[in-house]
Amino acid sequence: MISIIKGIFTLSFLLVVIRLSTPILFAGMSSFAASTTGIGNIGVEAIMTMSALFAILGSYWTQSAILGLLIGMLVGVLMAMMIAFFSMRLGANPTLVGIALNTFADSLAIFILYLFTGDKGSSASLAVKTMGTINIPFIKDIPILGQILSGQHVLTYVCWICLIVFGILVFKTPLGLRMRSCGLNPDAAKTAGINVQRLQVLSLVFSGIFASLGGIFLSLNYLLIYSKLMVSGMGWMGIAANGIASGNYFLLIVGCLIFGIFRAVSIVFATTSNFPSDLLTAVPYVAVIVVIVTVSIVNYLKIKKGNVNEQ
Amino acid sequence: MTKKKSFDKKNLSITNERVFSAVKILISILIALIITFIVLCFISEQPLNAIMTIMFGPLKKARYIGIVIEKTIPYAFAGLAACLLFKAGFFNLGCEGIFIISGVSVAAVAINEKLAIAGLQPILCILAAGITGGILMLIPAFLKAKFNTNEMVLSLMLNSLYAGIAAYLVRTFMLTTTTSTVGSKNYMATAQIGYIFEKFHISACFFLLIAVMIVLEIVMNKTKLGYQIRLSGTNKKFAEYSGINSFKLSMVVNFLAGVLAGVGSACHLLTQTSFYIPSVSVVGIGFSGLLMSMLGKNDPIATVIATFFYQYLQEGASVLYYTDKSVPSEIIAVVVGIVVLLISSQHFLRKYREKKLLKEGLAEHD
Repeated sequence: MISIIKGIFTLSFLLVVIRLSTPILFAGMSSFAASTTGIGNIGVEAIMTMSALFAILGSYWTQSAILGLLIGMLVGVLMAMMIAFFSMRLGANPTLVGIALNTFADSLAIFILYLFTGDKGSSASLAVKTMGTINIPFIKDIPILGQILSGQHVLTYVCWICLIVFGILVFKTPLGLRMRSCGLNPDAAKTAGINVQRLQVLSLVFSGIFASLGGIFLSLNYLLIYSKLMVSGMGWMGIAANGIASGNYFLLIVGCLIFGIFRAVSIVFATTSNFPSDLLTAVPYVAVIVVIVTVSIVNYLKIKKGNVNEQ
Repeated sequence: MTKKKSFDKKNLSITNERVFSAVKILISILIALIITFIVLCFISEQPLNAIMTIMFGPLKKARYIGIVIEKTIPYAFAGLAACLLFKAGFFNLGCEGIFIISGVSVAAVAINEKLAIAGLQPILCILAAGITGGILMLIPAFLKAKFNTNEMVLSLMLNSLYAGIAAYLVRTFMLTTTTSTVGSKNYMATAQIGYIFEKFHISACFFLLIAVMIVLEIVMNKTKLGYQIRLSGTNKKFAEYSGINSFKLSMVVNFLAGVLAGVGSACHLLTQTSFYIPSVSVVGIGFSGLLMSMLGKNDPIATVIATFFYQYLQEGASVLYYTDKSVPSEIIAVVVGIVVLLISSQHFLRKYREKKLLKEGLAEHD
């Protein structure tokens, strides 16, 4: 236990946290993007899985990492459009659509993987072009800061740029204001002349793009292969972080980073500590449970005191 | 109004609610099979033969049907648990974790030498699993009902936690010394549930499932509890205002769902395995149960029938895989996925039905 606490306060641990938080941040943004216009995207996990797979396959087919990335993103957007189509056009409950997507995406991914590789476990047999890391000149020479700011994976930089750009889009532009108004009260937004459905589709496109980037980071940029059950709940962590934040962008980022820290704990200390390894793998999930339960109890107490009106 | 009128007449036209939903299911399955056939054309050299094997392969041997029945049991229990939860409006996805953690209870009782009494030990196993499942399902139910925690995320995280705990418990207390995997010791011979009809693999669990299904159908449609479940599933606020104690209802429903999941886990383990491996034995059954429930539109009998057909197609795909290695059995996921999505789409085929309704109405008017 003490060795774990000591190990947390090191630079190498911080670097692992930055890497492992990336997919969770993407998942969080994906969930956030969908919920700004009031249409929940429960299928983040499924989109991440399928995009991760197709990015690898795309990169194998075209022998180009960029095209692989684009194919992965395209698949992600298509999946998000499936949610839009079934829930808006065909009147299915978006939550049920999400659950259905999540439950069969894993099998579908295995099916597709087997068709192209003959293997049901991973894409290790495919020779793919992958994305690397970026070394920023000058900055990389600064002692500690250089190691943190430079030499990260390409999509980690993309992630933080997306975070800033999307934050500005949602909170500082007219389009963002319209999107948020759809989420707050679709009827009022409609009365104000906003095309609610179009904005909801747009936000699902964003959601699909972010979720797919999260999946692609895992396959094409970080692990460099696709393997079965690779996403392992990261999409749900993003959804949980969004649930806690309830519209607060800063809290969303903090939540994702906290889950990233606990993921790092469970991976970094799996081999070194004498803590039972089976329980250590469950640590990030326990962290999510503790956080969402605490937040809901705090909210409950607030409502009970009468400070906040129950909606 | 029109809906009721056409129902009273009990005619067999598309405007009848029941006929319509049956037609919708058939068309969904047809679309799914057509898409599957198109996929098969790309990947198999004999697509026609392949789709025929998927559809009729299990009928070739009694053993295949036996496997279908045997596999239906745990998935149907998972489906029934999901039925109860969905019907009452809870999006609790915790059945997967309950299946895994109840397996530990089953294994703990089944490997115990002191309890090795023929006839009694399987019952004790099922009871232990049911109680474990029921009690653990109360955790997300309580937090949701009391503090309004997001039950979907909570139950999913609990699934992962339970998987970790199950692996830990098996590794620490029941680890077998004979193999390298993290599995429990072999069950006592007295704990295994044998087949009553050897040829069709029908065991006592099969009758248990049928009994549970009938009881649930009656409870859902004929009792006060069932009415409360349906009411709070359709409109929670209205249910609360009409005096239903939603906290109590939530506890009861989730407990029952947990019991069903636990019993399903025990039935599966005691008939199909001789020792428990937490990372393999029952993984995925709980999640498939959600799809089964959606296929059956949250109706107990329909869910069990849907599960049977799902397992039937799955077995068809396995039979196909023996002869044609180019088609993995996961293709059934494609079929089921499409059917589920189309069935849960309320507007699918609605225009067609509305046209018919309009015509009928006009004809009546004349």
